[in-house]
Amino acid sequence: MMMPKKVKYRKQQRGRMAGKAWRGSSIAFGDFGLKAMECAWITDRQIEAARVAMTRSIKRGGKVWIRLFPDKPITKKPAETRMGKGKGAPEQWVAVIRPGKVLFEMEGVDRATAFSAMRLAAHKLPIKTKFVSRDGLE
Amino acid sequence: MRKDITVSAEVRASRGKNEARRTRRAGKIPAVVYGAFQEPVSIAVNPREFYRIVRGASGYNTIFNLAIAGAETTPVMVVDQQVDPVSGALLHADFKRIDLARRLRVSVPVHTVGEAKGIKLQGGLLEIVTHSIEIECLPDDIPERFDIDVTELMIGQSKRASDVVLPASIKLLSPADAVIAHVVALRAEAEPAAEEAVAATPEAGAAPAAGEPEVIKKGKKEEEAPAEEKGKKK
Repeated sequence: MMMPKKVKYRKQQRGRMAGKAWRGSSIAFGDFGLKAMECAWITDRQIEAARVAMTRSIKRGGKVWIRLFPDKPITKKPAETRMGKGKGAPEQWVAVIRPGKVLFEMEGVDRATAFSAMRLAAHKLPIKTKFVSRDGLE
Repeated sequence: MRKDITVSAEVRASRGKNEARRTRRAGKIPAVVYGAFQEPVSIAVNPREFYRIVRGASGYNTIFNLAIAGAETTPVMVVDQQVDPVSGALLHADFKRIDLARRLRVSVPVHTVGEAKGIKLQGGLLEIVTHSIEIECLPDDIPERFDIDVTELMIGQSKRASDVVLPASIKLLSPADAVIAHVVALRAEAEPAAEEAVAATPEAGAAPAAGEPEVIKKGKKEEEAPAEEKGKKK
């Protein structure tokens, strides 16, 4: 699973997901991409599931870029614990995604294969997504 | 590439986000034209005409005439645009006045031609590292695109910016050793299998405990800080 190697603080506050992803909203590396249409916390497990679905779908051939990284720790209190006594322990890592963010990119495959792989990956994510391609690509 | 297209525009009297929004609701997009040592002018253009130019064969490198109502008609090109990241709607455009007698810097797309031997014979993958190169030339000499033949590429071989055949009137500004495309060996299948095996081990256990990364401690800095202070005192 993806997670940071080093962090400055073990726990974070929840934060906000308002607005659009003005940065990272265009295809930078590959020819095809999957763009988020909603905001969400995408967990390390969801990213891994999407990546596995994509790489299995394209089999041999093609290169995949993962353009999101789960750098936000999410804490959780144990079950049947009374409130108080401090914040819970870090449970998982999430990436804060705003609408417009390109989540994955792909190169080295034809459009139909890329679309099929991205569709499988999109099913592993908790948000609506859109298949996008580099400008001017036939 | 210069084209005999004229795009009509109107001068925007007032500026600001509210006025820009009203312009968009009226079916036009706010834009600005600047360059050639003249004052910038805020204008409004029809997005359909803008897309007709940008989506043409020469794309952003098209030089066309901008006819501002009641003012100048000047050759311009699109140098920047703002697009809504979700809807893809055009929000704003920047046009630059072009002096047809002066050389200018433009970025021209590079397309690969043919299928590399490294893909057919060795099962490699053609990775395109750079999609465009920067050149300097006269406005009338801007090419639509450059084609680079990758047929002879084997795994580990690459085509660089210096391999692009340029006419004598065009000067390459990108680094000559910048890789345009190379054929790499596929490793994608081995990596997931190894990672899955690692990932499967903790899941098999009772609780899927999240691994904890190393926390950067403040202690080191505190220890270093007094040492620095001591050094300063000396």
